[in-house]
Amino acid sequence: MIIKSVDCQTISNIVYDVVIVGSGVAGAIVAKQLSEQGKTVLILEAGTSEGLTLEGYQNNIETFYGALNKNSNSPYPLNPNALSPTDNTYGYFQEKGVLPLSGSYTRIVGGTTRHWEGKTIRMLPEDFKLRTNYGHGLDWPISYDDLMPYYRKAEYEIGVAGDTEEQKEAGAEFIDGYVLPMKKLPPSFLDGIVRKGIDQIEEVTIGKENPETIKLKLSTFPQGRNSIPHPDYQRPGYTDDQLIKDNFIPEGVASVHPVEYGERCQGNANCVPICPVQAKYDARRTLSTIAFPEKVHLLSQAVATQVDINPENGRVTAINYKQYKNISSSEYTVGTARGRLFVLAANAVENAKLMLASNLPSTSGMMGCNLMDHPYLLSWALLPTTKIAGTLRGPQVTSGLSTFRKGDFRKEQCAFAMSIHNDGWGWSGTGATDILQDAVDKKHKYGAELRNELITRISQQLLLDFMCELPANSSNRVTVDPQYKDQLGNYRPVIHYNVPDYCKKTMAYARKLSLQIFESLGAKDYSHYDKSDPAYFEYENEGYFFRGGNHFAGTHVMGTTKNNSVVDRNLRSWDHENLYLVGGGSMPSIGSSNTTLTLAALSFLASEQMLRDLKA
Amino acid sequence: MTNNGYRLIHTVEDLRYYLIQGMKIEHATIPPYLTALYSLKPGTNLEAFHIIRAVVVEEMLHLTLAANVFNAVGGDINGVLTDPEFIPEYPAHLPTGSVDFKVNIEKFSPNTVETFLNIERSKEVDKDAPLVLPRPELNPWLRILGLEETYTFYSIGLFYAEVIRGLQELHQEMGDDLFCGDPNKQITPEYYYDGAGEIVPVYDFQSAIRALRVIQEQGEGSRQQTIYDAERELCHYYRFQQLELGQYYSIDKNNPLNSDSPDHPTGKTFIVDWDAVYPVKTNAKLSDYPEGSELYDAAKEFQQQYYAFLGMIQASFNGSPQALIPAVGGMFKLKESAERLIRNPIPDMEGVNAAPIYRWNKEQK
Repeated sequence: MIIKSVDCQTISNIVYDVVIVGSGVAGAIVAKQLSEQGKTVLILEAGTSEGLTLEGYQNNIETFYGALNKNSNSPYPLNPNALSPTDNTYGYFQEKGVLPLSGSYTRIVGGTTRHWEGKTIRMLPEDFKLRTNYGHGLDWPISYDDLMPYYRKAEYEIGVAGDTEEQKEAGAEFIDGYVLPMKKLPPSFLDGIVRKGIDQIEEVTIGKENPETIKLKLSTFPQGRNSIPHPDYQRPGYTDDQLIKDNFIPEGVASVHPVEYGERCQGNANCVPICPVQAKYDARRTLSTIAFPEKVHLLSQAVATQVDINPENGRVTAINYKQYKNISSSEYTVGTARGRLFVLAANAVENAKLMLASNLPSTSGMMGCNLMDHPYLLSWALLPTTKIAGTLRGPQVTSGLSTFRKGDFRKEQCAFAMSIHNDGWGWSGTGATDILQDAVDKKHKYGAELRNELITRISQQLLLDFMCELPANSSNRVTVDPQYKDQLGNYRPVIHYNVPDYCKKTMAYARKLSLQIFESLGAKDYSHYDKSDPAYFEYENEGYFFRGGNHFAGTHVMGTTKNNSVVDRNLRSWDHENLYLVGGGSMPSIGSSNTTLTLAALSFLASEQMLRDLKA
Repeated sequence: MTNNGYRLIHTVEDLRYYLIQGMKIEHATIPPYLTALYSLKPGTNLEAFHIIRAVVVEEMLHLTLAANVFNAVGGDINGVLTDPEFIPEYPAHLPTGSVDFKVNIEKFSPNTVETFLNIERSKEVDKDAPLVLPRPELNPWLRILGLEETYTFYSIGLFYAEVIRGLQELHQEMGDDLFCGDPNKQITPEYYYDGAGEIVPVYDFQSAIRALRVIQEQGEGSRQQTIYDAERELCHYYRFQQLELGQYYSIDKNNPLNSDSPDHPTGKTFIVDWDAVYPVKTNAKLSDYPEGSELYDAAKEFQQQYYAFLGMIQASFNGSPQALIPAVGGMFKLKESAERLIRNPIPDMEGVNAAPIYRWNKEQK
């Protein structure tokens, strides 16, 4: 059984315990946690609900296969009523900053996990005190230790595969006896080739004032992707540090039909945007494993437009929405969702946009400010022909360098993590699809000749990405402007974004490191940072561009008082006591970790406080 | 009930013999299911694709479970899967011995679905009634111990009922000495999961019974008048029947008694496109392809790959469970090789495409 799809009529007669905006990983976790304690839940989803059935999902896969531009939202039909930002393709963001935020999220049931890559890396303990430790960005009001039990819950919910020992080496801490639910995804063949080059370099220095020596060592990344269940796994128990011996068995996403799917990763290499065998977690898995699905109502194609407040006590009274009939028409009806508790879980950008559209900038004025993302520097090369590297085998990324995630150099320049891309040059714009089009459409090749062309031009591709930490800065922000609206009359986000020298310095460092790696591999550098690229910048007379990481955060930041933040340590709004803002928007820093695991952990933490509120 | 006149399994050797036959039975369904599956044109018949595929995956699970029980009672699996006789020569009677239908390697069609239903059919019998019926011809596959060679099992489920009975009686006589196998030869959930139900490592009487019951019930259902098995999943028989009826069954997992009753599905309807199928040669032989042709080479290559695949599975059952991981990679190669055959016409045979050949013939070099 899956959660119940309802219509406007039904919900107009109900006062729910909880109304959630957004069915992505954060909203799904809150819905599951609260409904399992007997609470009634309504989820408003701006996008469509296809994909909850196997047939719908299969259609998404077919759409992706047939798409010429295989961008991160290519499996999903363009929806002008709830546009998904897609690397500036559809002009949803109004970019007003020095540099573009770019990046993408997905407005459909399951949210951005419907296109995420699946890396599930814990932040490091020192990331939670970025300001205190390194003089940049913001500190959290909670510590790594406070979040640890919730990290374990998130790892269970998502089904994380990874090597606990490698994560300890990278600086993460775990309680005794704990291992991740599944074993690490095996490093790809390509990883093995790159490893040889990296081992030759051995160590490098970073930082000018107090240079540090860093030993280079490849390690795997934890991911929300099915591998081999770990026989020593113990799942979270009923108290904070309790562990219960229990083999983790990944569940398929049950559809309405008695067909199960949800297999072990087969290395199809198109994790972003969609896994053909559902080996990758997405929030549909949380939605479809809710124990009492009848308690959770889903209203899809309903875009939240306005949060209503009781001016006397600041409490939220309702959320208004526009529900459109279908994606090919701008016709819509308006409705109101009422509840005791309200949860915004619509992504950092959309949460802030909705609050600002409702004229609720918060006492601190921080609503929409501190917008963060991970800017990525890409560097790409061709391996020598003697090294058939088997590019395009394996999940998108299996290994990389986590050795630059911590260190005192973070006073001078930002931390980063490097990934080896098993999917070749795709992200740089000259990947397998482009080469196929070139060979077929322009060079008219077919048969054995076409096969050879593809083998020689793809299987030696090497792309390294360097994911850089960006500290919170209040001038990076989301705002709204009546000039910029979509066809339903809803605001489009106006973005002010820039990347500080603190990060550019690391990107320049990363570029040099990549050249060193290429050299030791005998690989030929093909990187080209075109001046016409909107994300082009220069640093110390060298030109680069970066790519957005889709790890949007910080826009309703968590803090210690109502004057320095939007939400408290439980993600509850300081100004509106029955309103929670969950998701990356509450994070004061993002370290060198993709944000999903941490925001999932925060959703578990917030759910506990919600239950306490509902009891009171 | 011990020592009644119907008892067939008297010794551990008898039990091991039956379990080897069990592995043969489980495997014998895989070539016909796979061929029908790969004969579907890509992007069509989504329902058939997923239904058949899920059953194949479960048959692999059954093979593994049977191997676990076999290893637990001290069987030596070396040479079992790599025996050329492990794969039947199609058209074949099911190795249970039932002879009222034959199994072909052929394309997806109404007839094929009918055969699949026969494979997965069920029948309940009283506990002490004979499980075998007289049959008219010699069964080269299963020597039903202690009886004339003209006896046969009506269904796979009845075959396993007999195995379970034998196991129970031997356990009463021998106690836990029955489970003398090397526990390191058990395939554990670490190495096998796929939404196909759980793998049961077998170390004692209870786990052996559990493993055998999974095989028995996933096929044909736990009891009469229900469409689901012990895991509240739809049984194979009713899964295939959905293709015949063009409608999904609906199971209420929270309250299985509210599920549809047999033969009366109430779920979503769908249309099976019987024409969106490659016209593959039924029970193809190597001699159907001109010697030296690309098809001939491709078919031979498939045979070799399939033999190597069974070898890897056997190694994994024989104390190297990690061999299951590359074996899965091997299945991708098999799929590609099978599709290469299935999508190409046989020269000089109008409208007939090639098909994979699974069996490795002794006379081949």
